[in-house]
Amino acid sequence: MKKLYVFGNEYLQEDSLARIVSNHLHNVELVHCRSPEDLLDVDGEIVILDVVKGITKTIIITDVNQLKTRNIISLHDFDLGFFLKLMESIGEKKTIKIIGIPMIGDSKIIALEVEQCLVMN
Amino acid sequence: MSKESHNLVNKENNDNANKEITLNHITKIEGHAKLDLSIKEGKITKCELSSVEGSRYFEGLVLGRQYFEAHEITSRICGICSSAHVIAAISAIEDALGYTPSKQTTELRKLLTIGERIRSHSTHLYFLALPDYLGYESALAMAPKYKSELKRALALVKAGNNIVRILSGRDLHPVSATVGGWLKLPTQEDLEQLKTELLNVKEEAVKTCELFFTLKCPDIETEGEWFSLKDHNEYALFGGEFCSSKSCFKRTDYKDFIKEYHEPRSTANFVVKSDHRYFVGALARFNNNHAQLSSDAKKLLEQSGIKLPSKNPFHNNIMQAIEIVHCIDHAIKICQELKIKNEPVDKVPLKAGRGVGCLEVPRGTLWHEYILDDKGVITYANIITPTAQNLLNMQEDIKTLVPAILNSKTKEDIVMDVEKLIRSYDPCFSCSAHFLEVNWEEK
Repeated sequence: MKKLYVFGNEYLQEDSLARIVSNHLHNVELVHCRSPEDLLDVDGEIVILDVVKGITKTIIITDVNQLKTRNIISLHDFDLGFFLKLMESIGEKKTIKIIGIPMIGDSKIIALEVEQCLVMN
Repeated sequence: MSKESHNLVNKENNDNANKEITLNHITKIEGHAKLDLSIKEGKITKCELSSVEGSRYFEGLVLGRQYFEAHEITSRICGICSSAHVIAAISAIEDALGYTPSKQTTELRKLLTIGERIRSHSTHLYFLALPDYLGYESALAMAPKYKSELKRALALVKAGNNIVRILSGRDLHPVSATVGGWLKLPTQEDLEQLKTELLNVKEEAVKTCELFFTLKCPDIETEGEWFSLKDHNEYALFGGEFCSSKSCFKRTDYKDFIKEYHEPRSTANFVVKSDHRYFVGALARFNNNHAQLSSDAKKLLEQSGIKLPSKNPFHNNIMQAIEIVHCIDHAIKICQELKIKNEPVDKVPLKAGRGVGCLEVPRGTLWHEYILDDKGVITYANIITPTAQNLLNMQEDIKTLVPAILNSKTKEDIVMDVEKLIRSYDPCFSCSAHFLEVNWEEK
């Protein structure tokens, strides 16, 4: 069964939708990630589900350079985008696909879109 | 230094005698800090290091709350060292209630803070300090050339993180540790798994030391006295008195010795001991307690060539690197020796009282103090972080460093060395930081 690495913070409304959407998904093994390091030992393709600021419909991101990151100036900047770029820079390039969903929306409808993305994958 | 920069040195040396440097936002530290530095006729006329962090009011937030809420609330002071605040708060509350935790609980608390220290030191050394020494703006910029070093960093961060996660239930803001015990105990298999992971990653910690031994740092001496806990039983984590080479005092008496004072320009308090500045952190711990390091950490200390006691603040990063090895050895020992028993959380009887929690955390000694009424309600709280204790010493060290490099370096290199000095203390002004802006005006 395909694995889906789900990111987000259930306590922050604007960062929780990926976790809510994941509850409506079928035929996929969910891995709820607490930190980017959870991806370190994953071999092969990694499919991530996370919210993306500024989008209104579900998208697929396959190039981590599309992600906006700042230079790390404090440990608090050590986020998923920085981590994925760092992994790529140090040659830990895994095949990464991010299913990006909007921050707000109907979780059931978005879940259907995510399932379509998983089928296309 | 690039050829271009050398040209700048020659052109600008004479101008350095009269300068005004303002670092509005010092980067690659935790939180907001600002430095104002004025130089006239080659002498420093103003040097003010301030925290410009918004006031956090945590000591006020816990007032009127129940005793069991202190650690949950104060954990939010910082994600990087949330375990440290949790254990300091719990220790202080238990002290106030006259309760002594079981050996198992104490060992698990030690293991939790050790995990956090491995994670904190590894991230600080590789992602904040190392780019300075290698001449890169950030870890991401150095990644193409230093792949194996950054892989090593991630392996160490992960090892520390796993300890925190397995013991406390979460990566940040632990939930298992509580007043009177441990809400969800790790299994013996958990400890076995951690031991295996730590044994696997130890070589990476040793290589970290070897890397940091090769880095060149300025040769200066701080005039501040060093302080750390000193425990006769082990390399101090929780136990013992607060000591320098000259004196020790009991943690409960800390207010008789340590004074906090406020400068209007800074939202962090300054702290002095008997009106004198002092410093805390890995270097202070090594100066006091190096005889209690693990045998491999001792060997690495010898290999470093640094003679202790050292008063060079730049050595703090090297001691942090060696401390990772010691922490891994200590964690392995706990995982090996601790036999997990089913211990329900003790119901601690309430009584009015005052308690002080004091422990060694990544950046130095952390103090929490609470006063409880007879219903367990918090009526007073005081928290002193390592960075507050180091703030005055950092500022005064800048006054030592700048004259030593004023005539030989460009303004960019002086700024870089000042920032390196500040970062060598691994300060945590708190929870965010912004880009560096430098205003350099000739007087």
